[in-house]
Amino acid sequence: MIELKDAITALVDNDVEFVLIGGVAITLHSSAYVTEDLDLCYSRTNTNLVKLCAALGRFKPRARGIPDELPFIFDESTLRNGTNFTFSTTIGDIDLLAEVAGVGDYTVAKEKSVDFTIYDRVVKVLSLDALIAAKQAANRPKDQLVLPELLALREAFDPDSE
Amino acid sequence: MRTPEEKLLNPRPGSKIAEARDFGIDLTLIVGKLRKTPQQRIDDLQSAMRFHVELDKAREARLLKK
Repeated sequence: MIELKDAITALVDNDVEFVLIGGVAITLHSSAYVTEDLDLCYSRTNTNLVKLCAALGRFKPRARGIPDELPFIFDESTLRNGTNFTFSTTIGDIDLLAEVAGVGDYTVAKEKSVDFTIYDRVVKVLSLDALIAAKQAANRPKDQLVLPELLALREAFDPDSE
Repeated sequence: MRTPEEKLLNPRPGSKIAEARDFGIDLTLIVGKLRKTPQQRIDDLQSAMRFHVELDKAREARLLKK
């Protein structure tokens, strides 16, 4: 389980450039889907990597799946040497993606995002259309399960659907 | 023109909404979410996560007793 308020407020308050994707984004678009983690598409600029570390460092991120006895350093260098990360933290699982399949990198994700206000902060959230494109591109069983709901939501808001 | 809520509660045959209903999606749950603010939706999600954690704990405790 992820402590959403802690994670999202830390990211926004540190001016991290990110777009909410995945299950939390789907929930904000009114789906009843329940996720357990937080997925972000993030900007890979050096400045943003520093901000990401400032925002999330206090939650002691570690790469998920590596043995506890192995050392792991969460810093700009670690982020610079990879693109997509799955972290366990003291507040839950956080996944960082430099690129979203079916959508693109942060710049494209930002263009295809909409603003939601949560925890008294404005947060960029991947649009319903882009979430559908991402789910169609990923096409895993869990994506196939949520797609009918997303397509129904899109149709409900489409003035040309009837 | 029908509102999103009206479309979800009475799907047109052959529509994506009807497909979702036939797939097994409870459309009334979506309508319930649409009536809420983004903050309420995110609070609901957090509550559901906490409930799952409690369920897991209860299941583990029961397995340990056996």
